[in-house]
This record gives sequence, structure tokens and C-alpha cells, in this order.
Amino acid sequence: MSLIVDSVSKRFGEIHALEGISLEIKPGEVFGLLGANGAGKTTAMRIVLDILRPDSGTISWKGKLNTELPRETWGYLPEERGLYAKMNVLDQLVFFGKLHGLRGKAAERETRDWLERFRIPEYADRRAEQLSKGNQQKIQFIAAILHDPQVLLMDEPFTGLDPINAALLKEAFLELKDRGKTIIFSTHQMETVEEMCESIAILDRGRVVVCGPVREVRRSSGRQVVRLAVEGDPEIAWLGTLDGIVVERRGQDYTEVEVAPGHDPAVVLQTALVRGCKVRHFEIADPSLEEIFIEHVGQIDSSERTLAPKTVHA
Amino acid sequence: MNGWRTLFPNARYIAIREYRSRARSRSFVIGTLILAVLAFAATQTPILIDAVAGGSKTKVEVVVRAAGLPSDAQTVLDQALNGAPAPGSSQHKSFDFSWLTSDQLSPAQKVLEAGKFDALLIVDRDASSRDLVFTLRTDLPADGRQAQLIANAVTSLTIEDRLVRAGTSAAAILAPTRWEVLPVNSSAATPVNSLNQEISSTLLSTGLIVLIFMAIITYGVWVAMSVAEEKGSRVMELMLNATTPLQMLTGKVMGNGAAGLTQYGIVLGAVVAGLLAQGPIHKAALGTDAGAQFGGLSPTVLVAFVVLFVLGFLLYSLLYAALGSLVSRQEDVQSATSPLMMLIMIGYFLSVFGLQAIDETWVKVASFVPFFSPYLMLARVSMGHVQIWEFALAILLLIASIAVALFVAARIYSAGVLLYGQRVGLRQVLRAARMSR
Repeated sequence: MSLIVDSVSKRFGEIHALEGISLEIKPGEVFGLLGANGAGKTTAMRIVLDILRPDSGTISWKGKLNTELPRETWGYLPEERGLYAKMNVLDQLVFFGKLHGLRGKAAERETRDWLERFRIPEYADRRAEQLSKGNQQKIQFIAAILHDPQVLLMDEPFTGLDPINAALLKEAFLELKDRGKTIIFSTHQMETVEEMCESIAILDRGRVVVCGPVREVRRSSGRQVVRLAVEGDPEIAWLGTLDGIVVERRGQDYTEVEVAPGHDPAVVLQTALVRGCKVRHFEIADPSLEEIFIEHVGQIDSSERTLAPKTVHA
Repeated sequence: MNGWRTLFPNARYIAIREYRSRARSRSFVIGTLILAVLAFAATQTPILIDAVAGGSKTKVEVVVRAAGLPSDAQTVLDQALNGAPAPGSSQHKSFDFSWLTSDQLSPAQKVLEAGKFDALLIVDRDASSRDLVFTLRTDLPADGRQAQLIANAVTSLTIEDRLVRAGTSAAAILAPTRWEVLPVNSSAATPVNSLNQEISSTLLSTGLIVLIFMAIITYGVWVAMSVAEEKGSRVMELMLNATTPLQMLTGKVMGNGAAGLTQYGIVLGAVVAGLLAQGPIHKAALGTDAGAQFGGLSPTVLVAFVVLFVLGFLLYSLLYAALGSLVSRQEDVQSATSPLMMLIMIGYFLSVFGLQAIDETWVKVASFVPFFSPYLMLARVSMGHVQIWEFALAILLLIASIAVALFVAARIYSAGVLLYGQRVGLRQVLRAARMSR
């Protein structure tokens, strides 16, 4: 009864935007879609929404194909923000609500309710062009969720928001999750993913390279990270001589090393004690999502492999 | 396409939004006002022409010293110089006469010298030959047009005077001439149209064609603009999930079309008001009456006009919407829609030439071609050269082509709205249209 993306492929001319991606997203889950620019995140969302048709593969939600589902099932916050500049906020939110099947009265009530929650009730009568970018983004978010959709697809919802507004939006996310909504969003911000997502998928060049609950993904690499700090020796030069250990970072607080799969991280502590070091800090951790991401995809934002219908400013 | 099932109510919401945002915009309000004022003013130009022409009237004093002048001399001079009055018309007179008796010669001379009249015509009778003798005192050129016309007029008067003296009755002299115009082929059954009729139905046809032409190029571009605007401001992305391309397309064409019709209605209203006001204003300004003429606009022509107007607008604005979806900025709309502009211009010019050759085969054939029928079929209807089945066939073809255009436009539109940045060529569009939902 989940959202099932089943071996979906999509080509734009010569470019393979998606090459047989399969995902399963459980109802009520917050799901993160990660990937470099051009990895296929936006295309995947558009295909789920039935804005684009895949060349092959199917999408179903609770056992029904997306082509048979009413549009009200979905709430979509596009990556490119935009509103009717000359229209006032209330009018356009009511307009979008009605397009999604709400009655005029209900749409207005919901709109005022959400404006209140986002602490901008006084903007109801302003024209969209008079609002700041961050506030426009909040209006767009409201437009996407006004009709109380079952599944939310949000393309980079947190980009361009100041910390206060980002926190407001995260609060709204959690509230929607509490109401039982399924939330899928794409982002570049790994902290946000670690903070909010239960499961993730990393896309690279139209393929799913990793997928699953966040903890499992972090463990999946088999690598482990050890953070070590000893009295009087910030460099800890001997770390580099150990087998299967690569120094990642030397910092003021601690030195971080990566332990290759099959090696025991305890060796680091043992060696330190044998060498008579006074250990101030020792920690074994899973690699961060950022490291996992880089491992699979390469540098974040490395290349702008932008695809044909993905939106690009001229 | 899941849009076919659920066109409404979303298309209606979109149409209402489009209509409101268009009709409330400053450019619409100001544009409509200016157009209405201009249209009203344009209908008053005949008054202006009359006012200017009225000043150039040649005023002539006539002092009659001759005895036994034919009783209808005044009528003869008037008709000879101002022409026979057409029944019911209040035609402009180029000569104005003031008839005086012989004892008023010296005051007449003074008034002439004061410049209040252009000429003084003195009518005497030669004592020996009994012929009339005319003397014209004037500073107008002696061989000028006015002097020549007066010379011709007094010649007519002289001839009448001689005949009357010879014993022919005045009534017999002035009896109307029998005069008939027949077609070259004497067996042709249809009577020759009067020049006035022919001119007025050609003018009417041209006017109606221009009305359709203007509406399509003005309001069609509005549709394209509104699509491009939505795309440029990226609202399109929100709309894409909220609606289907077919709903958007239908809503936009209806909303902008209705806004266009509103403006059109207001401007046409100003024209009608102007024509109705022509008489009273003419009277107030110039003291004479001039009635408005609504000749030739029969109910048949009116119905044909409305049907062809609406269908023609639908066909073209669907294509405008499709082309508008291919550009990302409003600035590019003009160049993207230029092929359509060409097509519209071709139709327009065909119909302008077609009016001169309304019974030619190419005109008949072209009047069934959907892109041209709004113009050419209208021309044929208003010239009264069409069978009812011909009109019905043209309408059916037009409706069928609108259905095709709707389908094609929805495909192009749903592909086009996702294409940003690059200038989109026909090949890309076709490829994208194949892939889209």
C-alpha cells in the first residue's frame, strides 16, 4: 500500500534522464531524494505527478496507477518558485484550492488558517509581487498543501529560506507527517535530511544508487569513522601508519579517520593505549550522509549535467 | 489524456481568473477607453468634413432686371449648379443663391464689395433680340471652375427662356429625360446593381472582415501572452499539478476571448452611439440635419458574422496558445507567433482581393479552407453570392478543424510548457509532443 515506483525509464532525445528507477515509499514516511543537479530528481517527481509520462515503468499509490488517481492526491511544490504577480495572496490561494476541488468557502478558511500558522495573516490582501522571496515561498507551499493532499512532493523546499522560515517550514512538515501525510522532498542539504528523513534514495545519472532507511544507508558502506583526540599531540601522526586506516581530517577538537571495511576500529584505541597516549575523546560512528553521498556520486554540485526539460534560466 | 473527461469546472475557474486579471489590468482599462473615444470621434468625421466644406460654398447674389423670366428660373439654376437632389439625402450644396429684385442692385453691390458674397449675377434682357443678358461681377477667376459652372447654368436658362418665348410649355421642357442602363448581355435576368448598392456592400464586407482580422490579431496575441507570462513567472509549475493542459488551454482561450469580446463590445457600442449621435451633433454644430446610414447590414449577414467571428477566433487563439507555450518570456511571443501572423495576413489579403472577384473559382475554393473561411465566406455572404449549403459546409469544416487544433494545441502545449530556455524549433516540439501525456 505504498507509493511504488516500478522500473521507470525516461529519455529526452539522446539523454537518459531516468534509467529504470524503482522506489518504495511507505505511507506516512518522510522520504529524502538526493542527487546532484541533473540526477533526475525533478523528472522523477514530474513522472510521479503524471505531468510527464515515462517511456516504460509504472507508478502506483495504494495499489492504484497514478494515471487513474485524481490530481488532488498530490501536493507539489515545484523547484522554480512562481506566483501570479499581480494577484493578491488570498485570491490566488483560493484559486489553487478550487482547482484542486475545494469549495470557495473552504479554500478561504484553509488559506487564512495557514497564513496564520505561518505568521503572515496580514499578507492575505497583498499582491504577490509585494512579498519577499521567502514569504512568496511560504505562499507557494500553502498552494501545494491547501487541498490536504495525501502525498506531498517538494522540490528543494528549504533552499532560499532564512533559518527562522526554514524552521517554520520544518514544523509544518512535521505537522503534516503527524496528520499521516507522506512527504517526499529533494534537497542538497544533508543536515536537513539527517534531521527529518526516515528513508532516502540517492540518484545519480538517472539511477538509484542507494535506497533505504537513513541508518541502514549510513551503515551500508561497511566503512566506519573513528574520531580520536589525545592529550598533547594534536597531529597524532602515527595514525597514518595503521593498516586500513585513512586520515580524513585533522582538527583542533579531534582527528577523524576512516576505517576500511573488514578492519576493526578498536585497533585505533588499542594502539593509542599501547603508545601510552592519554585519550581524551574516542568515538566510533557511521559515515555521515555527506560522505555516503560523495562516495556514490562524487562531489556535491560537481557538474551541471542539466537535462533537456529540466528548468534552466535562459 | 485525462483532461478530456474533466474539462470543467477547472477550465471555468481558469477562464474567470484570466478574464478578471485581464479586465482589471490598467492597460485594458486605458486601452478600452482610448479606443472607445477614438471610435466615437471617428464616427463624427463626416461632420468635420461638412464643417470644413461648408466654408468653401460659393455665395451668389442674383439681381433680376429682365422682365418675363421663366417662373422656374430659380429651380433651373439651382439644379444646374447643385445637381438634382437624390431622394432623402441632405446633400451638400456648393452654390448658394440669394435672389433680389432690380431696385436692390446698389445694396447688393455694397454687400459684394464688403466680401460677404463671392459673386453678383445681373440678369438683363436685350431690347432688340429679346435674349437674356448675364453679367457676373466677381473676383473669382473668369476661367475658373465656379465661373464655368455658372456659365453653363445660365446657358440652360437662356435656352429655356428662348423655348418658352417660342411657345413650348415650361413643363414639357423640364420633363425628366428617359434614361436606362442595361447589362451588356441583354438576356441577363438580374438587374444591374446600382453603384451605391455595390459600393456599400463592398464597404460593409471590408468593414466586417477588418473587424474579424483585428480581433484575431489583437486578442489571439493576448492568449499567447498570457501563456508565456504564466510560464515566465513559473506559476506554470504549480498549475501543471493543479490542472491538465487541456483545462488550461480551454480556460485561457475562453477567458481572454471573453475579455477581448468585452473590449470589442465597448468599442462597437461607442461606434453605434457615435452613428446615432451623428444627426443631433450635426444639427447642433452646423444647423443642418444629416441622418446616419446603416445600409446593407441584414440579419443574415449579422448571424454569419457572429458565427464566423467566434469560430475563427477559437481556431486561431488555440494556435496562439500553443505557440505561446513554446517561449519562456513575453518578449519572445511576437517572433514565435509570426508564422501565425503570416497565415492571418494571407487570409486577410485573399479576402481583400477576393471582394473584387467574388465569383471567381479560387475565391469559392478558398472560402471553404478553415483558416481563410472566416474572412472569405463572410465576404461571400455579405456580397450575397452564396448558397446556404456552402455556408453550412464551411462552418462544419471550421468546427472540425477547431477540434483538430484543440487536440494538436493541447499536445504542443503540454510539451511546450516544460521547455525552458532554448529557442524551440518545430522538430523539438513534435518530439516533445510525442512524449507528453
